[in-house]
Amino acid sequence: MKEAASSGGGSAGGSDPRMASTARPYTPPKLSPQDLPIDYAGFLAVVFGVVGVMLRYKVCSWIAIIFCAQSLANMKNFENDLKQLSMAFMFAVMGLVTNYLGPPRPGSTKR
Amino acid sequence: MATAASLIRPPRAALLLLLLALSFSLSLAAHFEGFDSDDLHSAHADDAASADGDDDEGLEVELPPPPPISLSTSSPSPPVTTTTSSSASNPNPDPNPTRATPNPTPALDLWDEDEFEGIPVPEATSSDESSAPAEAAPSDPVADAAAEAAPAPPGRAAGRRPAELLRAYSVEIACVSFLICFLLNYFTGKRQNEAIALAWATRFATRDSIFDKNFSLLGTGDGKDTPLLMKEGQDVFKFYASGRRFCQGMLATMEMRARHDLLSKLVELVFPRKDTITFEVVMNEETMDHVVLAVARKKAAKTMQKEERDLQRFAGVLTSAPAGRRWVADELAVVAESKEVAGDMITEAVLDQVLGDKAFEKFGKWFISLHFSDQLAGSYKKVLSFKFVLPDASNMAEMTRLVALVPYYIDLIGRYKLSSHARSKTEGARSKAAQEAFREQQGLRQEALQRKKAEKKKLMEEAEAKLSAEALRKKEEKDRARQMKKSMPKVKMLRS
Repeated sequence: MKEAASSGGGSAGGSDPRMASTARPYTPPKLSPQDLPIDYAGFLAVVFGVVGVMLRYKVCSWIAIIFCAQSLANMKNFENDLKQLSMAFMFAVMGLVTNYLGPPRPGSTKR
Repeated sequence: MATAASLIRPPRAALLLLLLALSFSLSLAAHFEGFDSDDLHSAHADDAASADGDDDEGLEVELPPPPPISLSTSSPSPPVTTTTSSSASNPNPDPNPTRATPNPTPALDLWDEDEFEGIPVPEATSSDESSAPAEAAPSDPVADAAAEAAPAPPGRAAGRRPAELLRAYSVEIACVSFLICFLLNYFTGKRQNEAIALAWATRFATRDSIFDKNFSLLGTGDGKDTPLLMKEGQDVFKFYASGRRFCQGMLATMEMRARHDLLSKLVELVFPRKDTITFEVVMNEETMDHVVLAVARKKAAKTMQKEERDLQRFAGVLTSAPAGRRWVADELAVVAESKEVAGDMITEAVLDQVLGDKAFEKFGKWFISLHFSDQLAGSYKKVLSFKFVLPDASNMAEMTRLVALVPYYIDLIGRYKLSSHARSKTEGARSKAAQEAFREQQGLRQEALQRKKAEKKKLMEEAEAKLSAEALRKKEEKDRARQMKKSMPKVKMLRS
């Protein structure tokens, strides 16, 4: 082991440990969509986006935008994550548009 | 002198008359919502005092506007201004200046709550509210609060002060600034993670390095100029090596802290994480004997033994060291199938380099766990797994000894053969496990068959229900005929 540490672990038995004949190129494991880790940020983005649109809360739409950014930053499986992310972003933007450019929320006038 | 005095008196009388008229109009206005009689009295007193002081100068009095009696809450009415100017040439000005007489019927007397349900109650609105932009419409509670809190001064009725704007758009400002910070952090964090991964690859995977001397194929491709590292995410990097005796290949997975993600960074302030690297070596089927062993810190070893199926089935935590032998540091625990396996795997060289008391003081901070198994649940059964902490890009040399464990153990386990006594024990355990697994599979198969049968039966019943009454009668006749045939005695025909 001392020798291995100094010489790079090359030889336990003195001979070259490399065997080019046994070399196999890397094959990435096939992962089904069920095995993929859950994209919590994307899920939360959808939830907040829907709440922002339905209940007309600006804050929720902004939070949805932030979670969209997080989901985009952590995206690993482009094909699988993009659907959810695009939907979340659409809801968030729709929420912001309806809140800022749409008519005022009913029942919000002061009494 | 007397003439001067006589000239001064008439305007003063006119002023007093004017003030009386004003007080009358304001007392009427006090009936409307939003006016307070106490405030008005004090206002009159102030006006009178100022009028006494200003003898010859022109006096300008601004009346507050009467509130609009309508259902809209955003249209302000222009203020009614009464201006009087006194001069020596006109000693008797008109004592009754023009003024707007308010409606004697209050607005709320005609309001019926039940009839006009849902329509907002009419009220006076400040000019500040009307000048608010469309964004700070009634839907924004923050803007509403800001509008109620501070009415704009008369000079700045048209525009809002920066402080008010900040308060009105606090949510938007906070979110946009967070997004900007997120974006900046994304690029800086990404660069940091890449720097650590590249430092590791430069140290251990380039020409004449430890992995170059041990594996004939480095990197994920099969050509010469292929990248060494494969980037799976902004915080996950992989390094693959193959072409070595006793093993099929090795995959090193670097899992960094999510430096690129500001939200994850904030979470990590509460739940700290470290950069880790996991080496997974897939051994050849024929080379690895019956070995199940794990080394980790005591707490981690216990959780590993509970969670990992192979350790749960075949191994137990060793309470004492093998007789007359130096053993691992006190902080570490060994989970093994037998003391013999543990003793053979944890050699003197390993104790000197990493796992012994003295060495562990120095290099223990980078060590997480070792896990060797020939019964791993997954696509590959015979796997050696090493998990270490990744140092900073500047301190990468500190994990050289730990990385050297990988080729050392590949050779050690590749050559290792159990004694016949230990082998008989391990074979018994493995055959038992295989039987259990077979039973489980059989049970699953039977369940699947039963499910299929039940489904078939259901389909048949549904098909029968669909058949018409006539078809059913025909079917019954056929069945009866078949049964009759069966019940009839079998007659053998003999030829004479």
